[in-house]
Amino acid sequence: MCRADRLLVAAGLLVLIASPAHAAGPSDFRAAHPLPQAVPPAPQGGLTVSIRDLSAPAKLEPLLARALRESSSPGFAVTVPGGEARVGDFSIGSGESREGDVLVINGDADLYGRLTGNLVTVDGDITLHPGAYISGSVLAYGGEVQDAGGQITGEIQTLGAADSTQRPATSTGTTLPPIMHALRNVAGLAGIFLTLLGIGFGLVLLGKPNLEIISDTVTHTFGRSFAVGLLAQTLAIPTFGVLILGLILSVVGILLVPFAAIAFVLVLLVAILAGALAVAHAIGETYTRRRMAQGVLMGSPNSYRYVLTGLAGILLTWVGWAAFGWVPVLGWIAFGAAALVTWMLMTVGLGAALLSRLGLAGHFAGRFIAPETLTDEYLWATPQFGVPAARRPGQHKTPPPVR
Amino acid sequence: MRATLLTTALLLGAGAAALPAQTLTNFSVSRQFHGEVHLVADIEYAGGTLHVGAGAPGSLYAMKLAYDAERFEPVSAWDAGRTAVTLGLRSRKDGTMGVNTERAKQDATITFSPQADLALTFTLGAAQSVVDFGGLRLASLTLQTGASQTEVRFSKPNTMRCTLAAFSAGAAELTVRGLGNSRCDRVTFEGGVGSVLLDYTGAWQGDAALDAKLAVGGLTLRIPRTVGVALTTEQFLASFQPQGFSRQGNRYLSTNNATAKRHLDVALTTSLGGVTVEWVD
Repeated sequence: MCRADRLLVAAGLLVLIASPAHAAGPSDFRAAHPLPQAVPPAPQGGLTVSIRDLSAPAKLEPLLARALRESSSPGFAVTVPGGEARVGDFSIGSGESREGDVLVINGDADLYGRLTGNLVTVDGDITLHPGAYISGSVLAYGGEVQDAGGQITGEIQTLGAADSTQRPATSTGTTLPPIMHALRNVAGLAGIFLTLLGIGFGLVLLGKPNLEIISDTVTHTFGRSFAVGLLAQTLAIPTFGVLILGLILSVVGILLVPFAAIAFVLVLLVAILAGALAVAHAIGETYTRRRMAQGVLMGSPNSYRYVLTGLAGILLTWVGWAAFGWVPVLGWIAFGAAALVTWMLMTVGLGAALLSRLGLAGHFAGRFIAPETLTDEYLWATPQFGVPAARRPGQHKTPPPVR
Repeated sequence: MRATLLTTALLLGAGAAALPAQTLTNFSVSRQFHGEVHLVADIEYAGGTLHVGAGAPGSLYAMKLAYDAERFEPVSAWDAGRTAVTLGLRSRKDGTMGVNTERAKQDATITFSPQADLALTFTLGAAQSVVDFGGLRLASLTLQTGASQTEVRFSKPNTMRCTLAAFSAGAAELTVRGLGNSRCDRVTFEGGVGSVLLDYTGAWQGDAALDAKLAVGGLTLRIPRTVGVALTTEQFLASFQPQGFSRQGNRYLSTNNATAKRHLDVALTTSLGGVTVEWVD
């Protein structure tokens, strides 16, 4: 291994070791709590955290995580409608009572007295001492609730990661960083691609003639295949219903209902899958032949290459979504476009699979001359470059009779 | 070629490092017991392992969850007017693409107060559930399960009379043990495709009735020999092996039916299902 290679490997290892395995969450900052202080309300349009309703803590989590992140910045302000926010440890003394919701950021809450409202701590524990009374609910995000004899009329909730060294702040899909989102989508696409590739190679190995017939049907009767595929999608469920109903009405056929149901679903799945792979085969074949016609050396053109190239081509339509799926409007457009293209191709494939009877009949595959007719006698009798047709003379151009 | 391979390894390394280890988020919710007489509880559980049982006397209900927060969200809704709670785990609709490997690792434990009368409803998704009603005051039970593996136990006698236990299973494997402890007047079962065992062992304190409707699947009834059974069946292309029964019209009566102290009336409607009765000592 040369020096450059060693450097590359070392760089890879460094990336593995040094890359952060998680995003910052409550427990990551849990060293010493800051000095207790009230947090001023945020100006109009600033951070607002409503803790009036704690029935969906998972939806509240991104806001709490944001409040925690921003709490260390100077001039931090947050509005708690119908209550107040505090940074650092917080307590309500025995005989003391307080009204309104309380949000405690980066601090523990010790209660001896009464609180009329909800109590939420972020990166802090809640302790209810004997005599404490809360006419509301409590939530400890990234902390624990210790009930040492207090009374709570509402619910006691805790929310946090199973392992304190891992990612609570990013636990909701909405706060997943874009790069993570993209990598996850790419990983999902790669998994689907490899699965389809494996099935495609298996199909080439075991059922190449059938795959080629469906593929040729796609190429030669694209529009008709699409129409048939569309019709099949529309009629699949009614056909299934009629089939089952017919079997039930025939009484004797009732025994066949489970088998018929399974067979119908299996045939449909095989048609969809074989059709999709045949479309990939057709795309790959067309692309490869065009490149070869341009004089590009392509190695050995075979069905494995066609399927690989075609699947890669179809996958390309999803790359935009994988990369920009996290962008609100662009992501939806990319997803919609990719889904539409894939659906159209699969519809064509399904139609071709049905037209060719799963690759058993080549009527629509552009194979006009049956192989058995290609005998020497036939080829001898039939000119391969067409017959110059003699023009039938018109009535008016009949030569005059010989006198 | 080698440089390409090394670059690929580098990129894969970077990708692997950037992807976080899949972890589960912890969530817990509980409510103190303040002398509530009854509790209506609705449990929705989309996927994973679920344990349900009796909890501490000072707690009306409690749930501890470890769940995949990217695909699921916890459910905890309290209705003070009805003294009703909805607990469980619901599927998110904005999940990312890929195979859900975390579902199987999800785990939930739900407990209820042994002092409040419970009316329980379960809706289970692709879950593996163990539900033990031993030690609870169960007033009624409805359990709907799809493609799941569910085991329901009555490990201790129910401390109150239960009016109805209704089970509905799709393509599920459902086992109900100790129905004799349930003190349920009536048990109904509707099954699609699956394997079901209804075990009537336990401390019988009264007569009971079972109404079972089965489409395609196998139903096994495990009944103590001390219990007299009267079985009415409507079957269509179904198999029924009436061991230990004598036939009277369309009814099958167990040989001990006249002398038994406790009785079980069974109404069976099956189309393609197979029904087996096992007698246990």
